[in-house]
Amino acid sequence: MFGGLKEKLQAVRDRLGSSIQASAAPQAMAAAETVAGTAAKKTISPAGPTFTDKVKVLITDREFIVSEKDISDALSELEMTLLTSDVALPVTDAIIAHVRANLIGKHRKIGQSVDALVVGALKSALLEVLGTGFSLVEFIKAHDRPVKILFTGVNGTGKTTTVAKIGAYLKKQGYSVVIGAGDTYRAGATEQISVHAERIGIKIIQHQEGADPSAVLFDSVQYAVSHKLDVVLADTAGRFHTKSNLMNQLEKIRRVMKPDLVVYVDEAVAGNDAVIRAAEFDRTVGADAIVLTKADMDSRGGAAISIAHTIGKPLMFLGTGQRYEDIIPFEPVKVVDELLGSDT
Amino acid sequence: MQQMDQRELMTLQHYMKEYGQQAEIFVGQLEMLENGRMEALAAVETLEAMLSAEDGVVLLQIGGGASVRAKVLEPDKILLSIGAEVVVERPNKEAVEFLKERIMEMEASQKKVAETLDRLRSQMNEINKRLESGYQQASAAGQDQE
Repeated sequence: MFGGLKEKLQAVRDRLGSSIQASAAPQAMAAAETVAGTAAKKTISPAGPTFTDKVKVLITDREFIVSEKDISDALSELEMTLLTSDVALPVTDAIIAHVRANLIGKHRKIGQSVDALVVGALKSALLEVLGTGFSLVEFIKAHDRPVKILFTGVNGTGKTTTVAKIGAYLKKQGYSVVIGAGDTYRAGATEQISVHAERIGIKIIQHQEGADPSAVLFDSVQYAVSHKLDVVLADTAGRFHTKSNLMNQLEKIRRVMKPDLVVYVDEAVAGNDAVIRAAEFDRTVGADAIVLTKADMDSRGGAAISIAHTIGKPLMFLGTGQRYEDIIPFEPVKVVDELLGSDT
Repeated sequence: MQQMDQRELMTLQHYMKEYGQQAEIFVGQLEMLENGRMEALAAVETLEAMLSAEDGVVLLQIGGGASVRAKVLEPDKILLSIGAEVVVERPNKEAVEFLKERIMEMEASQKKVAETLDRLRSQMNEINKRLESGYQQASAAGQDQE
């Protein structure tokens, strides 16, 4: 997952590190020369610090200041790396600004690991744009049962499969779940979700193809209430935000089932397009959290890095394969550690 | 072999249908990647030819199979879309390098999608075998009843 971005960030990390190292070296040399000059004139007391100690203290404890000039080339490289990985321009700008503010003008000890300095700055910049993530389990714990979750998104991004995967995930966490087959528009969608539901052992509420999805989802909520179930997962037909009839239908669904959480599903491989579509959906029908599917196919990682910062809504899950268990809660710290290494 | 019931046959048919739809999506992705790769290869060829053409004259396709001779004013200044809807100006050689890297990335993605598609197809073959044996059992049972 995001292998290309990881590789490129590693190169930028090395480049930033060597730029800072190169700027610190002349200052260290100057310090060493000063000590050597002083030591040549004085007799060294056996009880006092040795010449080597003095040099060591002066070199390692001496501070140097990272200047804009020292890292400007490496920052340009970082900017290109992020843009070519399809990270949205405002997000790229935010990351660069954060790294710049974190590194430039700061007093750093020469002995301090440059790599730790660089990785620290990159990590905090990425964490800032990735936000805090979103724990579905915590969300469910904090709300009255049944918790109603509505899934929306464009066609063909893996929405129905995501509903099934999240159903399997919640079941594994010990929650009772019912799925509402609200995609009554696409031929075969009801069959598809009922096969999934049967495989993972979750109750499904469905009507005839072409039925009113609001009615199906209302029935699903009623079923959950009467059977005291924890969660309702409401699947809906894929739609583009420009199709006003389908968007009105979604508005009706929202009115009827009153979801606690609206989840927008798109594919990570769509890159910046996914970010733009998510922003449009958020503007027209609203979205509380995002799921990106097919993240295992995405080597760039642009959408995953950009989406939370761009639309201000957290990324909740990443779909990483075809099996039901191939869905991982999006945890920013883990993702950043994966991209930059957790050795610091 | 255990007799397959009607319900199991129907479930297998659903699986086949679902996997078939998934396979179609992956085939579509492969086509898109291949188109992108071919386009990038053509761009690399054009960029390299443009530098070597002394008078900077190229054939510009204007659609419908028609072309005109066009003179490129600055063959070493290439406007390149690098992603995230950002266009940057790059020297010809750097643009070629960038495109070659993109081609390599697309080839890696193609490989990954093709592997997934192969896995899917082998699963479909398995289901198909089970379906066929189910149909045979059903038809044999029908003949016995006659």
